Amino acid sequence: MGKNILKLISLALAVMLTLTGCSVSGGDAKESSSGSQEKTVIEYWHINSESVGGAAVEQLIADFNASNDHIEVVGRYNPEEYKGLMQNLQAEQAAGNSPAIVQVGWTYLNYFSNNFEYTSPQEIINKYSPEDKDFLNENFLPNIMELAVNSNGEQVGIPYSLSTPVLFYNADLLKEAGLPEKGPETWEEVIQFARQIKDKTGKYGFYTREGPDSWTQQALIESNGGKMITIENGNTRASFASEAGIEAFQVYADMVLKDKSAIHASWDEGFQAFLNGQVAMLHTTIAFMANIEKTAQFDVRAVSSPVWEGKERVVPAGGCFLAITAKDADAQKAAWEFEKYLYSVESMAAWTKGTGYVPPRKDVIEAENGLKTYVKEHDMFNAAASQMDGVASWASFPGDSGLQAEQMLIDVRDQILSGSVGVREGLSQTQNNINALMEK
Amino acid sequence: MNRISLKKQNGDNGRAYLYILPSLLVFAIFMFWPLFRTIYLSFFDWNMIKPDKKFVGFENYIELFQNPLTYKILGNTAAYILILLVINFVVPYILSFILSMMIKKGQNFYKGIIFLPSVISLVVGSILYMWILNPISGPLAIIAQVFGVTLPVWSKSEGLALVVLSLITSWKVFGYNFIVVLAGVTGVSQEVIEAARIDDVPMHKVFWDIILPMSSATGLYVFIITIVQGLQYVFTPIKVVTQGGPNYASSNLIYHSYHEAFVLYRTGMSSAFSIITLVLFILLLIIGFKLVEKGVYYEN
Repeated sequence: MGKNILKLISLALAVMLTLTGCSVSGGDAKESSSGSQEKTVIEYWHINSESVGGAAVEQLIADFNASNDHIEVVGRYNPEEYKGLMQNLQAEQAAGNSPAIVQVGWTYLNYFSNNFEYTSPQEIINKYSPEDKDFLNENFLPNIMELAVNSNGEQVGIPYSLSTPVLFYNADLLKEAGLPEKGPETWEEVIQFARQIKDKTGKYGFYTREGPDSWTQQALIESNGGKMITIENGNTRASFASEAGIEAFQVYADMVLKDKSAIHASWDEGFQAFLNGQVAMLHTTIAFMANIEKTAQFDVRAVSSPVWEGKERVVPAGGCFLAITAKDADAQKAAWEFEKYLYSVESMAAWTKGTGYVPPRKDVIEAENGLKTYVKEHDMFNAAASQMDGVASWASFPGDSGLQAEQMLIDVRDQILSGSVGVREGLSQTQNNINALMEK
Repeated sequence: MNRISLKKQNGDNGRAYLYILPSLLVFAIFMFWPLFRTIYLSFFDWNMIKPDKKFVGFENYIELFQNPLTYKILGNTAAYILILLVINFVVPYILSFILSMMIKKGQNFYKGIIFLPSVISLVVGSILYMWILNPISGPLAIIAQVFGVTLPVWSKSEGLALVVLSLITSWKVFGYNFIVVLAGVTGVSQEVIEAARIDDVPMHKVFWDIILPMSSATGLYVFIITIVQGLQYVFTPIKVVTQGGPNYASSNLIYHSYHEAFVLYRTGMSSAFSIITLVLFILLLIIGFKLVEKGVYYEN
């Protein structure tokens, strides 16, 4: 009896093993042979988790796959955002493979083009689809296309997700604290609002995204007249530890350490806390708009990223461009076909609706089949759409040390906000270290 | 006569090697080859995709020993070991003593309950804890608020981050260790304990002088796996919850090797780090065995 059961269990285990083995090897297959015709299977790598447009990506891919009979796009989600994708791509390339299309975060523009093989979009168009040769010129503004040009002047890809930081706020909490419902416009007001919210309601006033990058910190520093990166005699140098940069960061650190009106927490914790009504103002990318709109149980609104009194607004472009990393001709051709579909007015509009990204393509916002009605219904979207004139490129450290430089900025943020190092000392030292690293 | 037996022996040896071959192959491919490759890579400056590796000699090792970060991470690793030893070695010992000696009813129920978390994936556990322990809006924070307590933001506090990650890891490791220790403790011969009882020996003495020495073989095993496995399991919560932060305060040797290799893509540094870790652990285990092995009691 006992032996029979053992036999049964081991048989079941054996079957399970073979089954899982099959499914793994099935997932790796590049050419699927279902149906009479051989389909070209290409991989599209994205970073869109459930909270930032994951459903929209899947819908777009599914619609594309249904609409044609010769290409099958397989979407692959990469955790930890653009940094994670870059790391996975590195591992994949080390193993000798590459997907067809990847989302490259703006900050990795130079790192990507220095380290990976890609084909410029115009080159692919000219080669496989000459009738589209004016597609890029006709549909994109030059200053937007320029966001995806690297330091050697090459067009690495086509802008796809375009986001800027905005200030989401909980209007109910503002009212409760006796503050104007229309929200703050300047950083000075943000500081004062946060203080008052802390005093009156006991809740936190402000949280700015602490992601695996220093994107929102760039908005803070550059709006005050600082620069993350400057180019001197053709050499790129880190320059965030200027007086303006230190001043802006000091204000932020004071909110966390002195006023205790802002919170220093990981992104997941901070975001959850805002959604649960424990934090009044959240400074982060417009890409979370759809998610916030859906989840928040309070009167949630958004204003453009705050400015410093008397100074111009600078907002770093977040999001990504699409680069084609496919190597063989079939895959490259299929990649362009898929991209052309993604950049159609309808797909762009669907993308904005699913995320909140501002479309990089001209005419989508005004078009009937685009976002015309959507913009009217979603007031928060205007907070991002109205600040496009202040868009600057996301600071991208060139060369092999790009990843390390980015890590150093994350480290120093933790050091400063935990109070273990002063703002001036921390930023200056990090700036020197990054510059030393880039000289190597 | 002599020659024949020699020949026979040779044949036996050949067959024995043949039998070893499969596992030897597996070991060679998955253990020895990566080990030698890691040693090799630790002398180069390389990012895994560049076609040329730059030979730098011992530079990676020198940089490693000059970097204050290395010592911080060594300190963290020691802290993890100590905390995990307390939670996953000392506590299960005491608990299994209590369960086997004093609690007579519902033993199986307790065993089941305590073992249960071990079957749940640590990634799931980490995410679950991140939600429960959210210092601003998690359930624990809300309960604390009722009593007027504000929870510190542990994921961004040096020191505290490490302790919480240890707790998350323990949630997974505790159950298995407990079951193993319990088996050892229950295995101690009842006659000895009965004799002690008749002589009115107090419980803590029974534990210290009878249970502990007589179950020391199991104890040693759990002691060693707590150190080795605990540090590997910690990797998952670190990766999911803090990514080594804030400012490396929750990183340990194993996570930092990963960080160098797959976040910064400094393969050489990462390899050097791995080798140092290997050497350290070998030393640690040798010392551990030398000190403890003598006093261990093996029943058979």
